[in-house]
Amino acid sequence: MNIELLTLSEIKEVFGKEGNFQVNVTRYPRYVDTEKCIACGICSEKCPKKVVDEYDEKLTKRKAIYVQYAQAVPLKYAIDEANCIYFKNGRCKACEKFCPSSAIKLNEEQKDFTVKVGSIILSTGCKAYDPGSHDIYGYGKSPNIVTSLEFERMLAASGPFGGHLVRPSDKKEPEKIAWLQCIGSRDVHLGARGYCSSVCCTYAIKEAMMAKEHSKEPLDAAIFYMDIRTHGKDFEKYYLRGRDKSGIRFVKTRISNIVPMDDTGKQLIRYIDGTGKRIEEEFDMVVLSVGLEARQEAIDLADKLDIKLNKYDFASTTSFEPMKTSRAGIYVCGAFESPKDIPSSVIDSSAAAGLAGSSLAESRWSLTKTKDIPTEIDTSHEPPRIGVFVCRCGTNIAGVVNVPSVVDFARTLPDVVYAEENLFTCSQDSQELMKEVIKEQRINRVIVAACSPKTHEEIFIENIVACGLNRYLFEMCNIRNQDSWVHSDMPEEATQKAMELVKMAVARGATLHSLQEKKISINQRALVIGGGVAGMNAALCLADQGFDIILIEKEKQLGGMAKNLISTIEGADVQAYLNDLIQKVNSHFRIQVLTQSLIVGFSGFKGNFTTEIIVGPGMYERKIDHGVAIMATGANEYRPEEFLYGRDKRVITQIELSEHLKKEGAEELAQVVMIQCVGSRNESNPNCSRVCCQSAIKNAIHIKKLKPEAEVYILYRDIRMYGLLEDYYREARKLGIIFFSYDQDDQPTVESSDKGIVVTFQDHVLGRKFRVCADLLVLSAGVVAEDTEEIASILKLDRNTEGFFMEAHVKLKPVDMAMEGIFVCGTAHGPKLISESISQALAAASRATTFLSRSSLTLSAVTACVDKDKCASCLICVRSCPYEVPRINKEGVSEIDEALCHGCGVCASECPAKAIQLNWYEDNQIMCKVDALLKGVL
Amino acid sequence: MIIADKKPIEEIIEEIKDYNKILILGCNECVTVCEAGGKKEEEILASALRMYFLNKGREVKIDEVTLERQCDHEYLEEIRDVVDQYDSIVSLACGVGVQFTAEQYHSTPIYPGVNTCFLGATEKRGLWTERCQACGQCVLARTGGICPISRCAKRILNGPCGGSTKGKCEINKEIDCAWQLIIDRLKALGRIDEYEKLFPLKDWSTDRAGGPRKVVREDLQI
Repeated sequence: MNIELLTLSEIKEVFGKEGNFQVNVTRYPRYVDTEKCIACGICSEKCPKKVVDEYDEKLTKRKAIYVQYAQAVPLKYAIDEANCIYFKNGRCKACEKFCPSSAIKLNEEQKDFTVKVGSIILSTGCKAYDPGSHDIYGYGKSPNIVTSLEFERMLAASGPFGGHLVRPSDKKEPEKIAWLQCIGSRDVHLGARGYCSSVCCTYAIKEAMMAKEHSKEPLDAAIFYMDIRTHGKDFEKYYLRGRDKSGIRFVKTRISNIVPMDDTGKQLIRYIDGTGKRIEEEFDMVVLSVGLEARQEAIDLADKLDIKLNKYDFASTTSFEPMKTSRAGIYVCGAFESPKDIPSSVIDSSAAAGLAGSSLAESRWSLTKTKDIPTEIDTSHEPPRIGVFVCRCGTNIAGVVNVPSVVDFARTLPDVVYAEENLFTCSQDSQELMKEVIKEQRINRVIVAACSPKTHEEIFIENIVACGLNRYLFEMCNIRNQDSWVHSDMPEEATQKAMELVKMAVARGATLHSLQEKKISINQRALVIGGGVAGMNAALCLADQGFDIILIEKEKQLGGMAKNLISTIEGADVQAYLNDLIQKVNSHFRIQVLTQSLIVGFSGFKGNFTTEIIVGPGMYERKIDHGVAIMATGANEYRPEEFLYGRDKRVITQIELSEHLKKEGAEELAQVVMIQCVGSRNESNPNCSRVCCQSAIKNAIHIKKLKPEAEVYILYRDIRMYGLLEDYYREARKLGIIFFSYDQDDQPTVESSDKGIVVTFQDHVLGRKFRVCADLLVLSAGVVAEDTEEIASILKLDRNTEGFFMEAHVKLKPVDMAMEGIFVCGTAHGPKLISESISQALAAASRATTFLSRSSLTLSAVTACVDKDKCASCLICVRSCPYEVPRINKEGVSEIDEALCHGCGVCASECPAKAIQLNWYEDNQIMCKVDALLKGVL
Repeated sequence: MIIADKKPIEEIIEEIKDYNKILILGCNECVTVCEAGGKKEEEILASALRMYFLNKGREVKIDEVTLERQCDHEYLEEIRDVVDQYDSIVSLACGVGVQFTAEQYHSTPIYPGVNTCFLGATEKRGLWTERCQACGQCVLARTGGICPISRCAKRILNGPCGGSTKGKCEINKEIDCAWQLIIDRLKALGRIDEYEKLFPLKDWSTDRAGGPRKVVREDLQI
């Protein structure tokens, strides 16, 4: 209700400044009234014009009136003016004729208008690189050479081949598929992009794994790559699974030519393998792992908004303000900032919303719309009066099921006082009529027989609430997805089944009773745990939004790991930034900083937590009440045990090298060797530490700039300079930094000598050992999580095996934790760069704001209740609850806090004493459906 | 806690298949906790029996009641008024409950619905292990809190037998040698010298050897 969606709209001009922008918008006609359209699809079915479907990567056809895909928002049809017959020659209008809700508006016109806003967020995304511009890939020459996006559609169950993996040319199942990486990325030739697109390695592995799962015969899936870049959280484990469990072949080489073989439909690939042998291999299909690039529309928009772009046409941002564009009040998120994956984009978007919100905090709630809800009618003393609404869903249901006879049948069922059919029960007019009927007939239980509750249940529930009924006096049965659609060739049986489903729903309807949703107040204070860059940014962002913060840090000073960093790879001064940040935090009147503090106790639930801490050095105890908590406990550089570290002082880590270069320069350095992946990507820590490649290259470039004649060797497994960092890798090679790759099984060996550290390693090109005598051996030590075992057990938070906190959903909820009201950011979540920590911190603050900005919280009434008298205190609920909510209380019986209960019902089904019931799903409310179904049959 | 295990349904059916009015009697104590005879198991058994008789075309009345405990008169009284309506009772309590119910209601045949196994603990859900044999003369004070009577196959009292190999018992490699555990624990407690002290002959008359046992506490009797 508080998001106004302007689709088909374009920004023409922007005037004004931060806090007060005037945006001139042109809205192009959709030709469909979104208020009236119920997305029944009849228009599309009747439309005679077929058009190539861009969503299915042009592999299928759609109609001229269409929705792009089933999950489109808003789920409303639109007319593609360029292809519509009516707009070409003035005739047809089939959509208008058949639309059951008169939603077609063929005379709709373009509208120009102005919107006033305080902040602007750009989330224009990116597009996939078009490999057609390079003829070496043979794209377009053979249908069996496809882009990764096309392949993605081919694998999809809703895609052009129904999820059946076949070769486009002859629809035969492929036996060999090759994926070619870096198509259009990491390539400075004309038409390609110099940066790394960040996401292609992981998606290629995913596609190869899925292709193997889809194939009946064992599929040979080969990925041709330069460096595998699975730098995302836990992505390395995914890579290992693809390689070791799924058996994907990884071939380290860049393919520069694909030759389609016309007669067989296969494509020939020539390459040199790891041993230097020249190989020719034929593949049934070749998938081009295309990169990401800025959209032309976004570039034009940037020009209109007067914001700066970088040389690759992505929005220009800085290390410490990764969401801010060059113009105040305009923020950017997602792949318009740089190529990035879903979790990073989701983090960015919350961060941008947080910043936009900070500058608008004063005017919060001033434009918010709310709904008027009538007082609830007490129906507890009335006998059930059930109303049944059977939906025809156009022809979706009525084309198979005899709806009038289902309605007649419903009228004969016990407690039913009213039954009717609707063309579309979900349509606006049906909803209005339903309201009148409910009032007139004094209906106190409502049954809708239509589609899946997933689609429209909330609309119906809102409708009965608007009539003064309790929202839990509602029941739905699915006579479309589970009946008419699956039994379309058996209309009689389908009608019978619809009756049975209605009978069951009516039986349950009679057992339903009102449930009261509990409202709890929210303590509008936040606790931020950890005073590093992430914690301080989260605290500042929240404080700027007007909330009080308690920031606790276990050390004596704020700063965290950043205290050891000198500069970012872009050259920004970390210490200057950090000092400024600490000063801002210390002087903010809403932030209270408690250093040398330890958490010793924790209780409560979302909105109302209490944390007990001991504050040093006096060790006094303090209890803090707060509504949310942000975990920003950080990480450390791994302290290596390998390669003579700690035994020879000429062996140091990258952080130590940065400091060395700052203090002593590089004058005495003639030869420096760096070893990558120390303490990462091995058995004890299988993950990639994400930041070490850039640390090494940053320092290597620094050495070269200080002393160009110094020789720097970097021994690596895969160089992971993802996104725009790739430029620095190229610069490093240009500066003469020498890169050698080594295998995990054939590690470099090191020896101390008077002259230096002697490093011996295998060179793959020459096939022999190399020896370098280094003045300094620099270990690119990985990132290890801060020791949070105690905090995690006190707060009951989940961590992965490496000790990083786990988010609620890897892709879609990357800053929320499983326990509501607790958020995670920075390196506590996983290894990341400063800029990434900052955006996640802002995102956590933004997510916390959605909680804190409300004064109270309504809890779902669907929670588990314990009957104390029946409880045998057996602990089974305690042990089986996935959220660790039940506990045995002082009375010796199980107690389930309704504020913490997720309503999953596991405890209710497991309780051996049947002492637990789940509201709205009580035993009798479920069993009565079975009884109704089997009545008369047994 | 008394640990019981569910009896195979075939066995129960074999006993009660000729009755027409059956009461399933659950118990809300030990058998609930070990998931063999609480309310939930009672409902599942009743449901399974209903299906069985339905398939056989027989109309049989099957009702369910859960008592707080079947080893107390007062709780058993709760079915006094209804017990005459049934021609058989299946008790899901341990052997104690089954017998106590039978003693209260002479005229109705009672069948056990579970096998009573031992006195034990829940190691984790779905795994129960034996810890006590109710020998009547507790020796745990001398054995570091590990019971050689219930956990040693031979119930011996002065160190392991020759069948103890690498800490395991000769009857099964998965069973820990109780005496190995005792020695390790005494060492950890710094009490290994006590291991040298010989146990006196154990008075087995308080164990099953003395016949059925009873505990009499005159101070508590009213």
